[in-house]
Amino acid sequence: MELTWLLLIELVVLGVVAGGVGSLTGIGGGLVITPVLTLVFGIPIHQAIGTSLCCVIATSSGAAASYVEHRLSDIRLGMTLELATTVGAVTGSLVAALLSREALAVLFSFLLTYAGATMVRRSLEAEAVVLEEAEPYQTKRLPLGLCGSGAAGVISGMLGVGGGVVKVPLMFLAMGVPFKVATATSNFMIGVTAAASAFIYYTRGDVRPLVTAPAAVGVYLGAALGSRLMRRTPSRWLIMLFSFIMFYFAVVMVWKSFHGGFAR
Amino acid sequence: MAGLRASLAWRAGMLCERGFRDMTNQPTEEKTRSAIALILRYGSLASTLVMALGLLLILVRGAVATPGSDLPILPRMLLPRLVHFDPLAITESGILLLLLTPIFRIIVAAVSFGLERNYRYVWISLGVLAVIFGSIGFAMK
Repeated sequence: MELTWLLLIELVVLGVVAGGVGSLTGIGGGLVITPVLTLVFGIPIHQAIGTSLCCVIATSSGAAASYVEHRLSDIRLGMTLELATTVGAVTGSLVAALLSREALAVLFSFLLTYAGATMVRRSLEAEAVVLEEAEPYQTKRLPLGLCGSGAAGVISGMLGVGGGVVKVPLMFLAMGVPFKVATATSNFMIGVTAAASAFIYYTRGDVRPLVTAPAAVGVYLGAALGSRLMRRTPSRWLIMLFSFIMFYFAVVMVWKSFHGGFAR
Repeated sequence: MAGLRASLAWRAGMLCERGFRDMTNQPTEEKTRSAIALILRYGSLASTLVMALGLLLILVRGAVATPGSDLPILPRMLLPRLVHFDPLAITESGILLLLLTPIFRIIVAAVSFGLERNYRYVWISLGVLAVIFGSIGFAMK
């Protein structure tokens, strides 16, 4: 692939949109990067996932820094769960190498559908993450939390997302962690989860610098813009729009897996 | 009488020590948090700047005419090419810096927990590092 100004701008714009959507909706930018790279740019899905993992690190680092400073991330809980999530992430990225493009695309569309549904539900409840200290709490069911984080790691390593769609409900519903602490702790863990599998994609040659670098720069800018400019919760119709785009991507990815048409 | 005085002095010492420990513990955790935040913030900023610099140099110099140049550079080839200010090598080291940021974050956490004398979490941090380095070693083979 040759890098032209046009391609560079397109990839940076994709990154800005993904990073902005990620920081506004709380769903990682990886869910936008992979489908657009495979469906619009015609990039093989394994490489798209490698790129997406790098973007996940870029998008989570800035947000995690401010969550950590505002004492919202539970660092100790996060580090403990990282033990399981990194093992899962390594397993997931090794499994992804064995799966065909079509199988990965179908699995990815399941995740898109689930994440889209979560977004719709959450927008109806509309609870914003406010940067202030949380009330005291006691963590429950650590073994279950470890198993769940392992599963989130597998999903992350296999499909190139942060795994927040699994970790946040896990900590909030099963472990008794307040919602905003769960969100902030999940974000804190996402960088390490993504890095554990990104290195495997990197050594396999699935992190192409000319695709990854522009997208990652864009994601960094988009995430910074998203969190600076729009402190308030995004409007409901915006979230609905994005979730319908995700459902659309899910349908197209399933369609393409059964009718061919993925880049080699 | 002497025994009572000694015991009182010992208790006062304990109270002082506990108060002192409470006072010092609070700032140490604060330090851990700010060290982690610092690494995350500036690690991602630095890698973004390096990647942007590399991409701009690629476009300005038109260094991507050769086929296969979009393939990742082997890590051992990276340093020699960086010395020659190779734009592709600069872009790639930006990506590597991005991937290393979370790992630096774990190392900083491990050291901070060590300074807090919180050895349980030192071991947990080292465990996470071991998983990551193990996977890199496995993937390189």
